[in-house]
Amino acid sequence: MNKKERINKLVEDSLNSLDNVNRAEAKPYLLTRINARMNKATESGWEKAGWFIGKPAVAFTGLCMLILINVMVVLLNKPSNTDIVAEQPAQTQVDEFSYTVATIYDTENTQP
Amino acid sequence: MNQPELIEQLQQGDESAFTKLVDEWQDMVYNTALGIVQNADDADDITQEVFIQVYESVSSFKGESKFSTWLYRIAVSKALDHEKKMKRKKRVAFVQSLFGSKAEENLHPVEFDHPGVQLEKKESAAALFNALQLLPEKQRVAFTLHKLEGQSHQEIAEIMNTTLYAVESLMGRAKVNLKKILNSYYKKQIPE
Repeated sequence: MNKKERINKLVEDSLNSLDNVNRAEAKPYLLTRINARMNKATESGWEKAGWFIGKPAVAFTGLCMLILINVMVVLLNKPSNTDIVAEQPAQTQVDEFSYTVATIYDTENTQP
Repeated sequence: MNQPELIEQLQQGDESAFTKLVDEWQDMVYNTALGIVQNADDADDITQEVFIQVYESVSSFKGESKFSTWLYRIAVSKALDHEKKMKRKKRVAFVQSLFGSKAEENLHPVEFDHPGVQLEKKESAAALFNALQLLPEKQRVAFTLHKLEGQSHQEIAEIMNTTLYAVESLMGRAKVNLKKILNSYYKKQIPE
């Protein structure tokens, strides 16, 4: 048999090598591994959320946002100039009508 | 329990029906994946993914095709996705190897040995599996389903969502290409 014939035979043998092949069997305990993987996938949703929140960049941004919100709340609740002006007539009234309670020092020094 | 009943129970979320499904179809899914990815561990991973996908999407199965056809489609699609992922990893490993990383070890996979091949045909089959890796995707899938799973051309056409004529053409081209690849392989192997 010359080289060409030998090659042709090997090629044919290769092409026919999968005739009557048996089906490969899956590894044992496949169902257990599938269940474990499905449970892991369910847990990993929360794990991913925790991991995301725990990232330094996300945590730092969150902290900055919190501080910013607090500063904004403080600034928005600070009394404005109009409130001070509104209080002025009341003070004038107190001065004019001497609403202030006399102290002991005042009564002792009635005479000049 | 017949197949429509099993599917109905699966759609209702019955755990025992899922166990039966895995028992019945695991070898078929594993063998299909193994034929495509040619690695036992990867095929095992794909088999798990296929059944998880079936569990999650069985409610969308309308019974327009046979259940086995639907399962084959998922298995083939998962196996091809896995293969693409591995190719991307190999490309990254190759780039890393250029910079002296140890990743180059993964670039040359070991020769594949299908456990179902008869002992006297192991060597010829190994050469065929190597040649199969060089075929275009569709030719490889058609050839693998026909040879390893014993699917008829009509069934392959349904799985691949194509015509019978297209599958016959794919099989014809696959054989011609395999002959060419094997010819050049054995030419190098046999001394003058």
